[in-house]
Amino acid sequence: MKDRQLAWRNLWRNRKRTLITAASVFFAIFFALVMRSFQLGTYDKMYNDVIRSYSGYLQLQHPSYLDEPNLDNVFTVDPELVSRLEQDPNVEAVVPRIESFALAAAGNRTQGVMVIGVEPERESKALNIRNRIVRYKLTTGAIEALKGEDLPGRLEKNIELFTGEAFTEPKDLISVLGISKKDSAVLLPLLRNHTSFPGSYLSAGESGSVIIGNGLSDYLEAVPGDTIVLIGQGYHGTSAAGLYVVKGVVSMPNPEIDNRFVCLTLDDARWLYGAPDMATSAIIGIKDGGDKELAATQQRLGAIAGEDLAVRNWKEMNALLLNQMEADNRSGAIMIGILYLVIAFGVFGTVLMMMAERRREFGMLVSIGMRKGRLAAIVGLEMLLMGIIGMIAGVIASLPIVFLGHARPLRFTGEMARMYEDYGFDPVMPMLLPDTFYLWQMAVVLLILAVAIAFSIRKIFKMNVINALRA
Amino acid sequence: MKVVEINEVEKTYHDTEVEVRAVNGVTLSFEKGDFAVIVGPSGSGKTTLLNLIGGLDQPTAGEIIVAGHRLSELKPSELIDFRMEHVGFVFQSYNLIPVLTAAENVGFIMSLQKWPKEKRMARTGELLEAVGLADRHNSRPSQLSGGQQQRVAVARALAPRPEFILADEPTANLDSKSAETLLDIMEKLNREEEMTFIFSTHDVRVMKRARRVITLEDGKVVSDERTNHTV
Repeated sequence: MKDRQLAWRNLWRNRKRTLITAASVFFAIFFALVMRSFQLGTYDKMYNDVIRSYSGYLQLQHPSYLDEPNLDNVFTVDPELVSRLEQDPNVEAVVPRIESFALAAAGNRTQGVMVIGVEPERESKALNIRNRIVRYKLTTGAIEALKGEDLPGRLEKNIELFTGEAFTEPKDLISVLGISKKDSAVLLPLLRNHTSFPGSYLSAGESGSVIIGNGLSDYLEAVPGDTIVLIGQGYHGTSAAGLYVVKGVVSMPNPEIDNRFVCLTLDDARWLYGAPDMATSAIIGIKDGGDKELAATQQRLGAIAGEDLAVRNWKEMNALLLNQMEADNRSGAIMIGILYLVIAFGVFGTVLMMMAERRREFGMLVSIGMRKGRLAAIVGLEMLLMGIIGMIAGVIASLPIVFLGHARPLRFTGEMARMYEDYGFDPVMPMLLPDTFYLWQMAVVLLILAVAIAFSIRKIFKMNVINALRA
Repeated sequence: MKVVEINEVEKTYHDTEVEVRAVNGVTLSFEKGDFAVIVGPSGSGKTTLLNLIGGLDQPTAGEIIVAGHRLSELKPSELIDFRMEHVGFVFQSYNLIPVLTAAENVGFIMSLQKWPKEKRMARTGELLEAVGLADRHNSRPSQLSGGQQQRVAVARALAPRPEFILADEPTANLDSKSAETLLDIMEKLNREEEMTFIFSTHDVRVMKRARRVITLEDGKVVSDERTNHTV
């Protein structure tokens, strides 16, 4: 009889208790993984949204711009410096931009907005504004028209919840509305027909046009072809005012940006703010944004840029968001910690019961010649098997949910969506695919088991055989 | 040939506020092939003496030599090995391993001693046959009666061919018929394998079968008599 066979049989001598203990480990790791995947997936999306739609991974700035982001802290773009920066192996493009604030007005509505001046052709090498142009939108009119069509029952009932949602691709429309593959062939032409939205992206050399965020478009009730007024303060206190035609609407993932986003060509922005040849920042598009490579690239580019300019990474530029996420992350970690604490007591309870129930048996085994070390190894193996069964089952059960939640993120609609947007978050909760956080959760379970095993081993080594035989 | 020598052994417990001298200056020896019982009232020191002989406990004073080993000189881990090699234990409440079959229980100590599988299986079959359980190889302890379990326990104790068997109240939980059957088997094994049996008991049935009766009172040997009973 091998020790592992004996341990396996012992595991099932009290089937219910083993199953309950394994189930407690299963639920702990299952909920921890699903919760963590939601949490980390949401952070990941937020970081990516900010990086890809707004800040980029790295920016070249005036050294004071980080603390005082205004037009007084601009720098003159030196084409030779840009060219040298672009020679770095991890750099795709260096794209200057002007970023400031203004009041935007259309009709009798006014909104404080963020104005970004970009080079339309080069911008796509660093950010992704071009691909965010809204092609389809569920306007009130579009929804009314769709209600007149033969829609599947569930969609017909819920379609009003999606009022105002904008899409860049037909597949997004299908996915968000939860239309099945079977229905999509019939519904897609209908949806395209009724939700089609005009507008296009800026062209190089174009003047007098702007792209605005979908949220801002809704607020100002300005659609492509309408005119908006921008009024603000330019370089060194000059007046900045201009009249611009809305050329397109973009759907920015971060609602805070989406509600205030106005984009025009860099030349127009320089003219508006009276800052010729200048930029508030230059987005540095990079190939590998991993932490290690990013830090190395930042260091190399910083050396090239010299002391008059600073190269900032996305974490430095979004410290507030990071702090917010960190605080949320800690509260999540505390919740998971409490979950594990409850489970740890459950596992410990099982160990205590098992040790008490089998005390005489342990005494007998040592008295007939089994060494305490071997006995401890068998008992430890039993505990380990019990925990590992629960752990593996929990990991396996979490995988389909995590993969599904990644492929089809949970999207809030209606009031819940508005609440998220009010906090500045996109009302979408994607799940992060299995990553190192899986290993961490498993490590925590193994640590709990290690403590339980250590306790049982200690009890065995301290066991008095005669007292145990009398038990 | 002496299997066990006990010289002026004392065992004192300090578990409570009162000092208890469970074994008080006992000097005894057991010969190979003995079929001896230690009797006495409760608290007379029978089980303590058995524990000392089996190396489960250490005397406060005196010396015990088993098969040439001075038990006081052995380290705890050596004592465990010593028990495995030289002593067979039969407990009052059988103490079989519940997850193993009868055959696996019998073969358990042999597997601890790393006997080859064939040899182990042959010895297991031989012993189960000897205790009348040849047809219960694959039965778990829960599927056996008390008497059958105790017979398996005897077979387990005998399996590695120890120097002697220590049996603490082996018939206490058995009905008359099972007790008689068990004693028949033990006597047979004593006769055929020349196995030394040392019992502690209150059971008159066991005393009647013994060829040597040692009486303890207050931890002291008050009588040590050879009987006329022949196997």
